[in-house]
Amino acid sequence: MNRFNSQQRKFLYLGGILLLLIPIISLGMPADSKGEAAGVIARQRQEYDLGESDLGKIDPSSAAMNLVLLGLRGVAANVLWVQAEEQKNHKDWAAMRATTESIIRLQPHYVKVWEYNGWNLAYNVSVEWDAVSDRYFWVKEGGKFLQEGVNRNRNSSDLLWHTGRIYGPKIGLSDEARFFRRFFRADPNPIYEGNVDPEFNPTDEDNYLVAKEWFTRANDIEGQGNRQTIMDRSIFRSYPARSQLDYASALQKYGFNEEYDRRAANTKLTEEQQAAMQLEVRDKLREQTRTAWEQGFKDWTQSYGQEEYTVDYRGDILRIRMEMTEEAIKDLAKTPTDYRKIADAVMAYQNMTNYRYWRTRALCEAEPDTAEAHWLLFAAVEEYRKQNFEKAHEHATRVMALLEEIFKKYPELEIEEDMVEDGITAVIIWQNFYRFNGERPPTDFPLKRIYDERATQLPEYERKFNRRFLPY
Amino acid sequence: MDFDPTPFNFAAAGINWLLIVGVCLGLMTVVSLLVMAGSRGTRGLTMWTDEVGLMASDLVSLSPRRIFALSQLTFREAIRRRALLVFVVFGILFMFAGWFLSASTLAPEFQVKVYVTFVLRAISWLILPVVLLLSCWGLPEDIKQRSLHTVVTKPARRLEIVLGRMFGFAFVGTIVLVVMAVVGGFWIKRQLPAVAQEQLTCRKPVFGYLAFKDREGNDAAKGINVGDIWEFHSYIEGATKARAIWTFINLDASVLDSDGNLRLENRFQAFRSHKGDMKRALYYQYVLVNPQTGLRVPIPLKTVNEFRGRTDIIPRKLGKVAEASPAAADEAETAAAYDLIDDLVSKEAVVDPETKNVIYPAGTMLVEVLCIDPGQYLGMARPDLFIRTPDLSFWVGYVKAVLGIEMMLILVVVLSVTASTFVKGPVATLLTFCLVIIGQTAREFMAKIVNNEEAGGGVFESIYRLVKHMNPTTDLPEGTATTVMRFVDSALVNLMWLVYNIIPDFSFFTRSLSYLSNGFDVNVATAVYPGLAITLGYFIPCVLLGYFCLRTRELEAK
Repeated sequence: MNRFNSQQRKFLYLGGILLLLIPIISLGMPADSKGEAAGVIARQRQEYDLGESDLGKIDPSSAAMNLVLLGLRGVAANVLWVQAEEQKNHKDWAAMRATTESIIRLQPHYVKVWEYNGWNLAYNVSVEWDAVSDRYFWVKEGGKFLQEGVNRNRNSSDLLWHTGRIYGPKIGLSDEARFFRRFFRADPNPIYEGNVDPEFNPTDEDNYLVAKEWFTRANDIEGQGNRQTIMDRSIFRSYPARSQLDYASALQKYGFNEEYDRRAANTKLTEEQQAAMQLEVRDKLREQTRTAWEQGFKDWTQSYGQEEYTVDYRGDILRIRMEMTEEAIKDLAKTPTDYRKIADAVMAYQNMTNYRYWRTRALCEAEPDTAEAHWLLFAAVEEYRKQNFEKAHEHATRVMALLEEIFKKYPELEIEEDMVEDGITAVIIWQNFYRFNGERPPTDFPLKRIYDERATQLPEYERKFNRRFLPY
Repeated sequence: MDFDPTPFNFAAAGINWLLIVGVCLGLMTVVSLLVMAGSRGTRGLTMWTDEVGLMASDLVSLSPRRIFALSQLTFREAIRRRALLVFVVFGILFMFAGWFLSASTLAPEFQVKVYVTFVLRAISWLILPVVLLLSCWGLPEDIKQRSLHTVVTKPARRLEIVLGRMFGFAFVGTIVLVVMAVVGGFWIKRQLPAVAQEQLTCRKPVFGYLAFKDREGNDAAKGINVGDIWEFHSYIEGATKARAIWTFINLDASVLDSDGNLRLENRFQAFRSHKGDMKRALYYQYVLVNPQTGLRVPIPLKTVNEFRGRTDIIPRKLGKVAEASPAAADEAETAAAYDLIDDLVSKEAVVDPETKNVIYPAGTMLVEVLCIDPGQYLGMARPDLFIRTPDLSFWVGYVKAVLGIEMMLILVVVLSVTASTFVKGPVATLLTFCLVIIGQTAREFMAKIVNNEEAGGGVFESIYRLVKHMNPTTDLPEGTATTVMRFVDSALVNLMWLVYNIIPDFSFFTRSLSYLSNGFDVNVATAVYPGLAITLGYFIPCVLLGYFCLRTRELEAK
């Protein structure tokens, strides 16, 4: 039996509501204009940078969606995740992309959601498509998606790093790298009329240089105390410098063809004009590549190499740098045991990032002789292609001599496969010249030791050599 | 493509319907007879017979006028309950939907899919809860307010009340649906980016039947699975004797386009086991075969346009190139020597000489598909190759999709009103809501359980495995406990068979949406009639059940 009449009940409800409002108001009261007198929740939100505007760009549609769903956001997000997975399995890419958008509106500050879906689009969806241009489209979608994630979560060094990885290794190191790198500067989508996609590459730069910027931003944010959760800090912070080295390496590998094709696009050139343009591009690229390596060496040894890391090495907490001379270690160590420990730790961390190899490689590549060797080899191959075997032989002989000296000076580069391949390519051109003339090649020649050591792999080098003459 | 428009088997569905309705009626008869006989003896049996007689007389003396009047009443009541407020939500949704959809950089055909799916899904998700709530609360509220008393004291039969409610709510829902569909249609036309506008079309396909040959050239039920979780597509290996063979029947010159060409459209998928030539997509080749004469005419090679599809124009007068040779890509065709219809479509049926069974009827042409690149694979399913006859307007398919929603709406009204005749509003809402949700999402899972395809056994076996940390494929220890557990589980599965067959399959209503969003028009027999049949199939027993429940309900008990 109800003891209250209708009016009494209404007053009772009103009283209850007011009673409940008191703690809600006191806990959640926003700060006044001086930033004081805020409730506990508001204070903590400010203290931990958890306000929407602190986390990143505010998206009204996302906030509205979350409010409308009341407490069912988790359920809705789960349903969408299941849907997205099913759509992926059914290869229903349009629907999957739309579902992904809905998911991130529900979970805009959940960094792993951005990471997972960005990877999904750039790697898993991209690889499902047969046409390389379509694959590139999905790589871009993944990259743009991650950039949106960065906008919404500006303090996430993880997301910045993942974005850099799309620009760097995904575009520059995948099977389709030579296509992707070209598409990065001349988008295959007709709406861009052969120019860059301004949303993806607004400054029309090399993919590795753009990656370097993203990795640098990731380091900056990480340096402000926003922890990254991807890998050991000493590796994480190497990425801007590595991108510079990758940029130099890519210039060496693809630079000439990319630059020449860009200049010669949509123009009809006579043979003489072509030769003149090739020479011009070659000269430009030689210096550009060498400078890139020089910058790479600086970034690697003077920026990344000088950063201090506090590491836990075999139970000891040590402060080390990648670039430490014996004197520097001695200065830091108080006892011979300390010296040993620090030296071992530096060695171990250098091994982890392949530090010494990249230092030597950059140093060597930045030398004029190395640059000369690369571009002479390029010239030798071009002459060979035109069947000017005498000229090709002349260039190859010079390359062999230069590389012999380089390997003497930097013996650790004998494990550098690209450089060894260059040397053996020069030897093949040099030998073929004699064979075409019906002569036996001399038994002694520069690079003989390296050539003999790889006798079993010669068929593979021959195959790679012949592939150089396939049309692009 | 991710759908297979298989025709609905009306005969099998009809037999199944009779079986289920028969079982339910039989159970109701037996139970009610037993209850009456048990509680009142022979007098109870007489009462039962009288009651059935009265019900039968009610059934044959329905008045359309009274039903119409009751429908009008229901309609007015629904309007009074502010059912049309749904338009406000609809308006807000469509005002801001552009924020979510318009920035898409997807290819035009995919944009159409996103826009069309959004509009039709939004309409059905908005309209179904409204009609569900209205229909579930209508009768219980009337009983509570005693306004039903003023109706039942009039010469209106309770069957007419049930029908009046159903028609009235269905009418309200239909008006809302029509308005939303018209607005949604305009919205698609206005909002869709200009580049995607030309994709607003309805292909009218002629589908064939698909068979496979394996790499040795033997008949095979399927091709190879290259690791896809979803086994809808299967693959043929390149540069082998593997073939996908489509059989197109009832062909004549009417399938040709206005220029006299045959338009073959495909949605083949590509799978590379090595990089191969990355500058071009994989090659495929059609070989057109007359099953009667055995004449084979290979067509020059084409390249796959994966996930987008490709329309190949096959001229009526055909030359010939080499079969299964990469050289066919550059090779010139021989002079036109064959007529597509006269030479490649069989004029008589092909009969098995031993069994005398017809293998191919007259008017058949086979299209063999080969993958040319060695080490690479082409994936396909039955709807991935079809003859594209002249397109229809997009709005033809749109109307069919809206009709699908209309059928679903009517079914929800029927279920809701029926539920409201025997339980109160909240319970009726919950019951119908569960039926709709399970019918939309869980029927596939239930089918697996009913057909014993789900590893891990029934309820008790699953609980046992969970507790014992056993995976679903581990054998259970033999013994009495296992036997008992399996017996109980099988009894529950039989019960679930009934439940599975009672819960409506809502996937039939959204098929037209799936066809339309993929740019297809599928004939009404496949796209619309199944939904109509299901709605009718539920309408008849639900009306009877609703009538029975309302007739036996004590209206004074609020």
